[in-house]
Amino acid sequence: MLSIKNLHASVNGEEILKGINLEVKAGEVHAIMGPNGSGKSTLSQVLAGNETFEVTAGEVTLNGDNLLDLATEERAREGVFLAFQYPVEIPGVSNLQFLRTAVNAMRKHRGEEEMNAAEFMKLAKEVSKQVDLDPAFLKRGVNEGFSGGEKKRNEIMQALLLQPKLAILDETDSGLDIDALQVVSNGVNALRADDRAILMVTHYQRLLNHIVPDYVHVLAGGKIVKSGGRELALELEERGYGWLGIKDEDTSN
Amino acid sequence: MKPAPTLSSAFLHPAGQTLPEPLLALRKQRASALIDMPLPTRKTENWKYSSKYLKLSDDMAISLPAEGKAGTSLAIPGYKVVFINGVMIPEASEYPDLDGIVIQSFSDLDANEAQALSMQLGSALDHEQAQFARVNDARFEDGLLIRLKPGAVLDQPLFIIHNTEADACGSAYPRIYVEAGANSQMTLVEEYTSSGEASALVNTVTEFNLTDGANITSIRLNMEGENVQHIGATGVLQGRNSRFESHCVGFGGQLRRHDLQVRLEGEGAETKLNGVVVTQGKQHYDNHTSIDHVAANCTSEETYRNIAADQSHAIFNGRIHIHQDAQKSSADMNNKNLLLNNGAEIDTKPELEIYADDVKCAHGATIGQLDETSLFYLVSRGIGRREANVLLTMAFINELVSQIPVQAVRETAQLRLNDFFEQTFQEI
Ligand SMILES: Nc1ncnc2c1ncn2[C@@H]1O[C@H](COP(=O)(O)OP(=O)(O)OP(=O)(O)O)[C@@H](O)[C@H]1O
Ligand SMILES: [Mg+2]
Repeated sequence: MLSIKNLHASVNGEEILKGINLEVKAGEVHAIMGPNGSGKSTLSQVLAGNETFEVTAGEVTLNGDNLLDLATEERAREGVFLAFQYPVEIPGVSNLQFLRTAVNAMRKHRGEEEMNAAEFMKLAKEVSKQVDLDPAFLKRGVNEGFSGGEKKRNEIMQALLLQPKLAILDETDSGLDIDALQVVSNGVNALRADDRAILMVTHYQRLLNHIVPDYVHVLAGGKIVKSGGRELALELEERGYGWLGIKDEDTSN
Repeated sequence: MKPAPTLSSAFLHPAGQTLPEPLLALRKQRASALIDMPLPTRKTENWKYSSKYLKLSDDMAISLPAEGKAGTSLAIPGYKVVFINGVMIPEASEYPDLDGIVIQSFSDLDANEAQALSMQLGSALDHEQAQFARVNDARFEDGLLIRLKPGAVLDQPLFIIHNTEADACGSAYPRIYVEAGANSQMTLVEEYTSSGEASALVNTVTEFNLTDGANITSIRLNMEGENVQHIGATGVLQGRNSRFESHCVGFGGQLRRHDLQVRLEGEGAETKLNGVVVTQGKQHYDNHTSIDHVAANCTSEETYRNIAADQSHAIFNGRIHIHQDAQKSSADMNNKNLLLNNGAEIDTKPELEIYADDVKCAHGATIGQLDETSLFYLVSRGIGRREANVLLTMAFINELVSQIPVQAVRETAQLRLNDFFEQTFQEI
């Protein structure tokens, strides 16, 4: 599904990703861990098409198509979804209007009929229940004044509505209380499907108790320095990053 | 040195003589005071950004004809009065005879009523700040008088459609005078539209005189064509515990100028001024507002938003004057501006003069561009660039548009905004 080869990216001339290689097959869940500032969000943003970052070398394909040639919105329509580490607040655009515009953009791309306001409202209410977000949040500005946890639930809600092929979740578990973690994990598990890949950036092994990954990778200094099965996360929890020859920073974020 | 330019004497001669005698006399007297009126230049402080857009030629001095105009009967959900080129068209107008409410064209007033009105016209405006109100004083051909007796309530909005038919060069001088008796209430919508492509001047004056406890909502929608130079002034006098609410929505043109002056003269008066301006191409729009807190315990709240695309130019000048005796005044002024292109220009200036010591006064002005992070967030959900731009631009003014209390006006404004978006944002 997703194939990343020797990906280099920089911002303001400073190289942040220094040769990433990663293969993710349909149906798989990959966890990406690593110290603060190692490039996890950069990788996520580059995959989604954020032009702040310049790709200087490498190749990324999604189901064989060159992803780097596509504009952000085209990637999204081809099925790339990024749950932001820091979801953006947009006062003046209601969450409902935002979600409906997004869903209809996707439907239009697939040649399906757009949903009218009433149809969409019904769908949105169902999905908001799934992530335990009061439907009142649909009326508010996009993420406007949402608490950290509410923003994360709103991201998962979008993933559930847009049904992506590749979901990249950048620390969707951070800042959640125990109940919210359960809700978000259930949402992510609901996303798991044979024809979908999930890339999950996290600092916490505890998330991986809820969402069991097929592979765990450690990103450090802009490279993947270690890959393994889910037991690697347990080992990291116990031993930190030091044994991998990485500076053991505070990863509690 | 070249002599300072003055208004051509061609502009001092009104066409029609259909007004009642006292108003004709008033007009004549004001015209004689107007000889050698200096035209604003870039050295004129209150016109410094706008004088270069003002292009008055002698052939624009002639009053656009009103004779024989039928006017279109517009489908409007409320009462309506249609003016063409500044003259009321009774056949196109529709409003009921209501107890305690007089709605009459100036030409239909009897001598006594006209005499009374001639004493009042112009009293709600500072002509020093709104120079062109003088030209209207000397030139109005007709006008609309609205008198609400104490306690009278107009049950539906009254739309005043001022259409300028500029098939040939010329000018029009719409005039409105509203006297709101104690505790009376109404919503007035002024819509300025035009047809024809010739150079035209539309020079308006609207005055509101709010007696104690009156509650007036004024909506002003400026949608004239590119070819129209619009110079309008609105003056508001507010008595004790009166409430005035204004919603101005304007689209740019060759020249657009609106002066809005509010004087809070009675204790406990409240005023709320909202404004939205949208310009594109080489258009211009200049809003000058002025709030005088004369009496104590009054509140003013002002929110203006400008959006300028292409090489257009928008100007906001907000003056707040808190007089010495206006203790416990509360004044809040906020102006935010959105530049959609580097070639566009926005000038914003708050002017505060505070002579009382116990006041609450806040003001803020910003100029910015669409936020890249927000844009990325939207397109990362599959939303097209064009649509994302529209959403964010609309977000900038949504709060103000949604506050307009008449649905038909919101819809009209939205349609015009959609045209603006269509032309401003191309699919990328
Ligand atoms: N727009 C930017 N301008 C300058 N530097 C940036 C920018 N974005 C990221 N960086 C730098 O790139 C490096 C990697 O940042 P990134 O956000 O990818 O780290 P991360 O692994 O997601 O960290 P965390 O665990 O704290 O979220 C950091 O040193 C960061 O300061
Ligand atoms: Mg990060």
